[in-house]
Amino acid sequence: MAITEAATPSVLMTDEGPPVPSRAWLRRLRIAAPAVLIVLIFVACFVLPLVAPIAKPTGGDILNSLQPAFTPGHLLGTDDNGNDILARILYGGRTSLIVALTVNLLGLVIGGGLGALAAQAGGIVDGVIMRLFDVLIAIPSLALIVAVSLSLGPGLRNTILTLAFFSVPAFARISRAEALRLREQPFMVAAKLSGTSTGRILVRHLAPNIGPALMTFAMLGMGIVMVIEGALSFLGLGIRPPAPSWGNMIFQGQLSLSGTPMLVVWPSVMLFLTVVGFNQFGEALRARWSGP
Amino acid sequence: MTALLEVRNVVHEFTVRGVGGLKGGTVHAVSDVSFDLDTGETLGVVGETGSGKSTLARCVVQAPHPKSGSVRFQGTELVGLRGRRLGRARRQMQMVFQDPYGSLNPRWRVTDIVEEPLIGYGDGDAGSRRRRVRDLLDMVGLNPDVYGRRRPRELSGGQCQRVAIARAIALHPALVVCDEPVSSLDVLIQAQVLNLLEQLRTELGLSYLFISHDLALVKQVSDRVAVMHLGQLCEVGPAEALYRSPRHPYTVDLLASVPSLDPNRPPATERAVASGEPPSPMAPPSGCRFRTRCPRAQDLCAAQRPLLRELGPGHLVACHFPEPVEEESGPPTVTGGRARAVA
Amino acid sequence: MSEAVLKVENLRVRFDRGGRRVQAVNGLTYQLRAGRTLAIIGESGSGKTVSSRALMGLLPATATVTGSARLDGVELVGMPEDEMRHHRGADIAMVFQDPTRSLNPTMRVGTQITEAIRAHSPVEPAAAKRRALELLSLVRIADPHRRFHEYPHQLSGGMRQRVMIAIALSSDPKVLIADEATTALDVTTQAQIMELLAELRSRLGTAIILISHDLGLAASYADDVIVMYAGRAVEYAPTRILFAQMRMPYTRALLDAIPRLERASHTRLPVTPGQPPDLIALPPGCTFEPRCARAQPECRDSRPPFVEHEIGHWWACWYPCKDGEPL
Repeated sequence: MAITEAATPSVLMTDEGPPVPSRAWLRRLRIAAPAVLIVLIFVACFVLPLVAPIAKPTGGDILNSLQPAFTPGHLLGTDDNGNDILARILYGGRTSLIVALTVNLLGLVIGGGLGALAAQAGGIVDGVIMRLFDVLIAIPSLALIVAVSLSLGPGLRNTILTLAFFSVPAFARISRAEALRLREQPFMVAAKLSGTSTGRILVRHLAPNIGPALMTFAMLGMGIVMVIEGALSFLGLGIRPPAPSWGNMIFQGQLSLSGTPMLVVWPSVMLFLTVVGFNQFGEALRARWSGP
Repeated sequence: MTALLEVRNVVHEFTVRGVGGLKGGTVHAVSDVSFDLDTGETLGVVGETGSGKSTLARCVVQAPHPKSGSVRFQGTELVGLRGRRLGRARRQMQMVFQDPYGSLNPRWRVTDIVEEPLIGYGDGDAGSRRRRVRDLLDMVGLNPDVYGRRRPRELSGGQCQRVAIARAIALHPALVVCDEPVSSLDVLIQAQVLNLLEQLRTELGLSYLFISHDLALVKQVSDRVAVMHLGQLCEVGPAEALYRSPRHPYTVDLLASVPSLDPNRPPATERAVASGEPPSPMAPPSGCRFRTRCPRAQDLCAAQRPLLRELGPGHLVACHFPEPVEEESGPPTVTGGRARAVA
Repeated sequence: MSEAVLKVENLRVRFDRGGRRVQAVNGLTYQLRAGRTLAIIGESGSGKTVSSRALMGLLPATATVTGSARLDGVELVGMPEDEMRHHRGADIAMVFQDPTRSLNPTMRVGTQITEAIRAHSPVEPAAAKRRALELLSLVRIADPHRRFHEYPHQLSGGMRQRVMIAIALSSDPKVLIADEATTALDVTTQAQIMELLAELRSRLGTAIILISHDLGLAASYADDVIVMYAGRAVEYAPTRILFAQMRMPYTRALLDAIPRLERASHTRLPVTPGQPPDLIALPPGCTFEPRCARAQPECRDSRPPFVEHEIGHWWACWYPCKDGEPL
């Protein structure tokens, strides 16, 4: 019954012509800038080693260790095993990014799907699914991750599976909350009255409206997953050295921090840039999708 | 002859979660409501917050199905149907909602929104659908070239309602359920949308089930009016009869509470008759649910729930002690509601 | 005739948002006397709410307020926030539309009232509680002792609004602003709340500003009425005079658009086409001209001034309605 005050429109609502957006360039910049950063990072890690003369990340000569930066053939120098740091950064980036992407994708699809299903089905199905996830969320994450990782063992595939244990319930919660909220909206009822099939409702009504929240969460999740992956490596689980990942490079490098800080600084900088890039991108997307 | 819509003994309740997720209580939203709606008729349902009128509207369209009772539309019983069979039986029943923005998918464009029922019921190919969408937008006063590509957030409330109406009439419905269609709109825009609804009614031969809390509005658009209170029908009858000789004390109170547009008349409060706070739908009084606020209540009212009885032609009242008919009833005064002396 | 307790002169409110300038209120002038009720009627975007929030100092930082608003001689426009806090609630108080959102759901009702009391005067908790119970009785809440300890969700909408009124009256303000205070309530509850306000007004001598879109409310409960459109006052008169001799086509349009009990079913309403103008791009002439049934060419070119054309009756129109003439 309340009369909603007309919000000052940010688009001109005249009766002729299309709406004129205000400050669109600023909005585009906020999305474009982090996007460009992310693309650059991806290109660096995945494409550069294919086209540029980058050394191998492993199998270095111990006699070659701890070369400083700008040594010929080693732009950033070498680490304590004689491996080229730049190569380790780039190849390590591949691993970290693959892990983070896959884990979040699994969470988005499986968790998001299960959450929406739980909300739609209601009743026992909802109860069972959510109690299961409640249990997983309730156990302290690190303990859970360690436990799962120990049973699965180290390595790329198992690291991804382990971390998925963490992300799927989180996505499911968000998806379910959003789906429940949307279920009550009149346009969902209108869709049913329009004869739209359940499948089409899920794909064209529910998904586009839940999508933004899940995508934003996924963006934030990128950074979280990369850091946790590092923690796993530190514990001897996760990605086993000598295979590089930013996480395990940071944790390994910590051991000799005072002597050779650059071993930690480079992967940290890359991790930082990536996390900031994804966070900003997610934030800009959220603003774009929810605002005028 | 069967009525277009026959509603019998519809009951609907909600369980409310209390503290800690345990069952807190039951909201008796709709308790044994029955009425008919004939082809070409506009039946107005008026009630205050908690009266259950919106829930009743949702139960009529089977979203959700009522807990019990029967809803026959065009001769077919809807309550037991599911899936495609329900879709087929319900095809000519559409709804316009209160929240103009909430009833449209915020991510879709206007043309997609209006096209949805045409796709849902498989009406023709893409080309003929697009043409029909243009016609529909024209019918509701929206230029398809200007508004077709817009999204709901680029429209005003009134424009959104027009889009919702265009979608509702896309399949040539027989019945349109309007749940507070203009309550969220500014006064001048309200008049525009109401006129549009009236125009479409005559052009397309529509029947309306018109839900509102505004008694004057309901009376203005309806042939017959049903007054609801706390899940039950108090009075049903021709709009004029209800207005000239309201028989249920709650109807009298509602009429008296409508602010008058004549500054020279005493304000509504001196004419209102009910007292006290409205009871909660979670704990409705026994017997007649209005008895706690009724100046005419007796013991019988608590013991026995009054049923609708016909007291005049087409005029049904659910009250053990209805208001007496006014002896003298000249033309009503130019402005505002009627003062009623309580016998 | 009592002295004016609130004198508003040429009040202007401008919002600067994202590089765009919106003139939400454009030169509002009125006077409010003690014990009188002024209704400010308008639709969305008319500036009615913004103008009263300006008086209370409740506008966001993007707003610039100019002009004058003197409450018992004290200038409110431009008052710094810490000074405003003394006046807000104590001299000028507001009741909002949605009591559900104005009351803290996690605090007991009684505590919210005592908190308001103690914000403006240093009283003992016991004295504050006594006053709170007095106030609850004043606003006709049955069983005040029980309600004192309850939470907002345990009260009905009407009761919550009464609590809001109690809080607003706790420090005996000179002016009470009811901003769409009954819009979200049922019509029967609305009638009760309006009666309460009328009674309080005569008992306490508070001046009341009723902000609403409902002309009917003004007719029944206000002594004077201002009609606002697109940030400006377009008509101002004592209620009886306004309804007897409505001059502004906009006011007439508002009146005609209100549903009436005595209209026959299926009557087509007289309709005003179009929408309220975009405040960012106001036309040079009369702001209502695009929608006005009486518009003439000169209405588009020059804006009619807001002038006292008849005693006590102000309006801004080149071709006002005459007595008995249809729109």
